[in-house]
Amino acid sequence: MFSKKKITLEYTVEKCSKCGMQRKRKFSQGDVLFAECSKCDSCDGMSFIEKVFGETLEQ
Amino acid sequence: MSLVNFTSFDFDQLFAMGDDTNPLMMLVWILPIFFFVFYGQRIQLYVTSGEIKKGISKLDGFRNESRDELINYVKNNLKPVDDPVQKIDRFIDYFTIMPVDMDPNGIVDKVRHIVRSREDYTREHVRSISPQMSDIELTKVQTLLEIASSLQMIYKIINHMYLTAKKQNNYPLILPLQMILPFIMEQSEAMKEAIPVFKKGQPVGDGIGPMVVGKMMLKNQKETVAFQTVLVKSEFEGRKLFLLKAEGPGSTVGRPADGLEKIVSENKIDAIIMVDAALKMEGEDSAAVARGFGAAIGGIGTEKFEIEAIATSKNIPIFSIVVKQSVKEAITLMTKEIADKADDVRTQVYEMIQENTTQGQSIAIIGVGNTAGVPQ
Repeated sequence: MFSKKKITLEYTVEKCSKCGMQRKRKFSQGDVLFAECSKCDSCDGMSFIEKVFGETLEQ
Repeated sequence: MSLVNFTSFDFDQLFAMGDDTNPLMMLVWILPIFFFVFYGQRIQLYVTSGEIKKGISKLDGFRNESRDELINYVKNNLKPVDDPVQKIDRFIDYFTIMPVDMDPNGIVDKVRHIVRSREDYTREHVRSISPQMSDIELTKVQTLLEIASSLQMIYKIINHMYLTAKKQNNYPLILPLQMILPFIMEQSEAMKEAIPVFKKGQPVGDGIGPMVVGKMMLKNQKETVAFQTVLVKSEFEGRKLFLLKAEGPGSTVGRPADGLEKIVSENKIDAIIMVDAALKMEGEDSAAVARGFGAAIGGIGTEKFEIEAIATSKNIPIFSIVVKQSVKEAITLMTKEIADKADDVRTQVYEMIQENTTQGQSIAIIGVGNTAGVPQ
């Protein structure tokens, strides 16, 4: 009756294979682990998907 | 002779019973006792029935939702050749009859044969819904079908037990149902919440084993060693590593035992390390990492049996690393806590290799679990 509604937010963490910089963003369809995804923002290395996970929030 | 006085109510006497106690006050206690002796069970039955009925209507909702989700997914994503509803409904109702176990000798082979026949048959029939479907999509639909089929079976069994107890006004029959219902509901809710995760091809908590081994496989030559199972040969500090996992990013657990059998038939293996998710006990922290001995692999037991048989016949020790999680966490989107443990588990695998083997030895490392969203 008084339980709060829970929602799960889906995130993808990208990691640069060169400088190790990590970037967390919203999950987008087609993201799978270890896939190369974009150029790193701080160097010329390629970023790959390090993690895909969910974080649960209570509303 | 003094008459009993029925009119002098003294509420102080409510909790006392002496010679001068008002008989009406005594009745306040005695009547309910008789009432509950004869009707207590029936009252309990009505109260419990209400709770179970709520659970059953929830289960009914889950099974309908899972069926609709599956049908919509097939219709919207897979371009079926004709209307898939009838076919899907038929698949959902499929049952598996386990072999007779009066003579347990050879039962594992029989169970494996039946389960694999079912898998193969379902795979081919799911493919017939949409022949252009990719292998990854096929594994997704198969998993969604398994979920819908399990929820359908759970609903039918619980509803049957409830209706039987109700029909016979049999309270003792409803008691076990009341006791197992919270566990059933927990598992069913987890299955329902797993549907969108498998549809999107995201990694689940159970995918931590493939995630750890998959990363160790990166940038190496892969070969298919068994059905939906890949092998990578690599090296670490003078040791030869045979890395094994289900072929991602489809939703499958592969056939690690078949893969291990092939590796062992061609190479001398000195140790087996298995990485898997394990159910945590209540009170244990989620994503806690534990090490142990023996084959860490779930399922119906045929793969575990085979791995143990191979290890025993060749005298190979089996070491395990598990990441603890709840039923829900294991089949729904991987939590941050579990994902964050991947690097730590990988380090522990290398530590385990250093501690338990010497240079020149060969080690088979198996990442056990569903490999949805986890390639290699």
